[in-house]
Amino acid sequence: MAKKDKDDEDFRPTGTIAVLAIFVVTLIAIWATIYMILVGRGGTL
Amino acid sequence: MKQYQLSTGEKKFIGSHLLVAILSLAVGSLFGPLQAFEHAGWDFYPYLRPWIKSYYQGLTVHGVLNALVWTTFFIMGFLTFNVIFGLKRPLKNPTLNKVGFWLMVVGVVAAAIPILANQATVLFTFYPPLKANWAFYVGLTLVVVGSWVEGWGLFMTFAAWRKENPNVTSPFIAFASVVTALLWQICTLGVAVEILTMLLPWSLGLIEGVDPQLARTYFWFTGHPLVYFWLLPAYLSWYAMLPKQAGNGKMFSDSLARLSFWVFLVLSTPIGIHHQYVDPGVSPAWKFLHSMFTFGVFFPSMMTAFTVVASLEHAGRKNGGKGALAWIGKLNWADPSVAAQLLAGILFFFGGIGGLTNASYNVNLVLHNTAFIPGHFHLTVATAVTLSFMGISYWLLPYLTGRKLWQPKWAVAQSWIWFIGMIIFSNSMHVLGLLGAPRRVPLGLAPYVPAEWNSRLFQVGVGGAILFISGSIYLTIMLMTALNKEKVTEEVEVPIAESMQDVSLTPVWLDRWAPWIYGALGLIVLMYGPVLFEMIKNIALTSPGFRVW
Amino acid sequence: MSANKIHIDRYERNWMMFTAVLLVLFATAVSVSAFGMGIQVPAPEQRVDPKTVGTDPNSPWSSPGLREVAPGKYDAYILARAVPTWEYLPKEITIPAGSSVSFYVTSSDVQHGFKIQDTNANFMVLPGQVSKLTIKFDKPGTYNYICTEYCGSGHGIMYGAIIVTP
Ligand code: HEM
Ligand SMILES: [Cu+2]
Ligand SMILES: [Cu+2]
Repeated sequence: MAKKDKDDEDFRPTGTIAVLAIFVVTLIAIWATIYMILVGRGGTL
Repeated sequence: MKQYQLSTGEKKFIGSHLLVAILSLAVGSLFGPLQAFEHAGWDFYPYLRPWIKSYYQGLTVHGVLNALVWTTFFIMGFLTFNVIFGLKRPLKNPTLNKVGFWLMVVGVVAAAIPILANQATVLFTFYPPLKANWAFYVGLTLVVVGSWVEGWGLFMTFAAWRKENPNVTSPFIAFASVVTALLWQICTLGVAVEILTMLLPWSLGLIEGVDPQLARTYFWFTGHPLVYFWLLPAYLSWYAMLPKQAGNGKMFSDSLARLSFWVFLVLSTPIGIHHQYVDPGVSPAWKFLHSMFTFGVFFPSMMTAFTVVASLEHAGRKNGGKGALAWIGKLNWADPSVAAQLLAGILFFFGGIGGLTNASYNVNLVLHNTAFIPGHFHLTVATAVTLSFMGISYWLLPYLTGRKLWQPKWAVAQSWIWFIGMIIFSNSMHVLGLLGAPRRVPLGLAPYVPAEWNSRLFQVGVGGAILFISGSIYLTIMLMTALNKEKVTEEVEVPIAESMQDVSLTPVWLDRWAPWIYGALGLIVLMYGPVLFEMIKNIALTSPGFRVW
Repeated sequence: MSANKIHIDRYERNWMMFTAVLLVLFATAVSVSAFGMGIQVPAPEQRVDPKTVGTDPNSPWSSPGLREVAPGKYDAYILARAVPTWEYLPKEITIPAGSSVSFYVTSSDVQHGFKIQDTNANFMVLPGQVSKLTIKFDKPGTYNYICTEYCGSGHGIMYGAIIVTP
C-alpha cells in the first residue's frame, strides 16, 4: 500500500492555483471577445 | 522490484497497432502542409495530379487517416498495453483481440481503395447526399466493428481479473483504459446505425434516397464523444504516467481521476447536438438543452486540469522547484516524452477555450464552419492528442522493440518545433475564422477573399512549413529507432505515478460499473430519445446521391 | 476497498465551485443574447422535396429572389445548388439600407452552408429542409454570402452578394 511521505501531507498545490488563475483570465478574455463580436453583429429574428 | 513482463507476442501485437498508426500519420500528415501552403497561395496540387486529383481528395485522405486511423490504431494499441500491464495478466482471449485488429486493418484497406480512386471524396464526415463508393462505407464499418471486438477482448480480460481479485481497487491505467473502450462502444452506435440503415443500402442501390438531417444527427451522436475517445488516452498518460516522468511526482488524487473518467463516460454522448446548433431540422429547445449539458462536461475537464497540474507541481517541487510558477522549469524537460506531453498540455488550454466558445449555443453563429474550427481542433486532436501520443511513443517504442530511442535531443527539438509551428498555424486560423473565412475551402483560389485576410493566410503557410519539419523529424526518429542497432540494456521502465492518497481509500462506488453505464444510457435516452423519435417518425428518404467532385 | 466517502482536497473543491460560478456567468450571458437580444439559432421551418423544390411552380424556390412583404420588410427565397454548377439563386440581392430580410434557404442537391459576412446569419442548408433567419441591414455596402459546407469541387467558388444601397 502507498506509503505516506511527509512531504505529500504538507503539499499544497499553490502553483496549480497560479497556473489555473492565468488560464481562467485568458479564458474569460477570449470568450468575452467572441461574445462581443456576436452581440455586435446583431439579431437574427 | 521488477516490473511485470509482457510476452514477445504481446509486444508485437501492440507494436503492430503502432505501425499502422504511424504509417497512417505519415501519409495523412503529408497533406496538412499542402493545404496550408495552398491557403498561402503556394499551390502544389497541379504537380500531384497523377496521384491525387484535387484538394478535396487530399483533404479526405488527411481527415480520414489522421483523425480516424492514426488515432484509433494508436489508442487500441495503447489501451491493450495498459490493460495487460496494469492488470499484470495476459489477455483473456488473445485470438479475439487479433481478430479485431485484422478486421480494422481490412477495413482501412477497403476504405482506402475508393478514396485513392477518387470514388469517395466525401471528407471524413461523409455527409450524404454526397455518395461514396460502397466499399468506403464497408471499410468504415469494419474499422468500427474491429475496434468493438478488440474492446470486448479488453472487457473480458478485465472481468477475468476482477474474478481473480475480488476486493482490490482496480489499477488506474487498466480502469481508465476500459472506461475509454466502453465510451467508444456506446458512442459509435450513432455511425453504425447511420451506415447500416441508410448509407450502405443506399450506396448499394437498395434504397433510393436518404434523409440528410437524420444522417447528421446520427453522425454527431458519435462525432462528439469521438473527441473524448481521442482525449481520454492522453489524459490517462497525463494523470498516471507524466507526473512520474516529469520528476517522480505522484498522482494528486486517484479518486478524482476516476470520477472524471466516469463523468466523461456519462456526459460526453448526450450532448452531440452542440454540433448542430445551426441545422434547420432540430428545435432550438433541444439545442439549448444540449448546450447546457455541454457546459457540464466542463467540470471533469477542469477537474482534470487541476489534478494533472497539481501532480506535475508535486513533481516540480520534488525536483527543487520554487515559487508560484518557477517549478515548471524544474520538470524533466530534457526527456522528449515529457517535453512533448507538457507542450501538448499547454496548447490544450487554448483548445479548451475554443471548445467552450464553440459550444456556447448562439456564439456558434460567429464560428460555425469557419477556419476557427480547424484552428481549434488542430490544438486538440492534432496537438493535445497527437503530440501526446508522439511523446508516449518516445518511451513505448523502445519498450516494445528493446531498441534505444534514436537521437533523444532531436525528439525534444521535434516537440518544440511542433509547438511553435502550431501556435503560428492555429492562431492565424482562429483569426481568419473570426474575420469570416470558411473552412474546407482552398482559400488561395476563392474569389471572395478580401485583402485583409492575406497576411493571415501567409502565416497559415508558414505554420504549415514548420509543422512539416517537425512531422518529418518525428517519422525519421520512429524509423531510425525501429532499425536502431543499439539495444537498451534493461527493459525500459514503464512510467507509473503512484497515487498520493492511499488507493485503498478510493471509494467503492468508483469501481462499480453498472450504475455508471445505466446512467450513461439513461441520459442518452432522455437527451436523444425525443429528438430521434421525431426525426425517424417523420423520416423522408428523399435525397438521391451525388458525385460532384 | 472499504471507503465510501470521496476525499476532495480543499483547493480542488474551491476550484470546482469557482468553475460552477463561471459556467453560470457564461450561461447567463448566452441566454441574455439569445432570448433577450434576439440572436437566435435556426428553428425547424418547413420540409420540402429536394427533387422538385427548384422546379415545381408552386414552390417559391422555382422563382427564387426577393419579395417585399411590408414596407422595408422582405422575404428572400434562395436556392443553393451544386448541379448543374455551384451557385446560389439569385446571385445578387439589392435592398435599401434599413431593410429587414428573412432568408429562406434550401438545397436541391447536396448539403451547403450559408453565411452572410459581418452578420450573424450562418447556418447549414440541407436538401429537404428550409433554413430561416432574419437580418436587418442598416449600413450600406456589399455583404457576400458564402457557402460554408463542402458541396463538391466547386465549393470554394460558391457565393453571392447583398448590395445595401444608401
Ligand atoms: C502536419 C501538420 C498539419 C497541418 C499543417 C495541417 C493542416 C490542415 C489544414 C490547413 C486543414 C484545413 C483544410 C480546410 O479546411 O480546407 C486541415 C484539416 C484537418 N486536419 Fe490537419 N494538419 C496537420 C496535422 C493534422 C493532424 C495530426 C490531425 C489529426 C490527428 C489533423 C486533422 C485534421 C482534420 C480532421 C481536418 C479536417 C478535415 C475536413 O475538414 O474534412 N491534421 N489540416
Ligand atoms: Cu463536440
Ligand atoms: Cu459549399
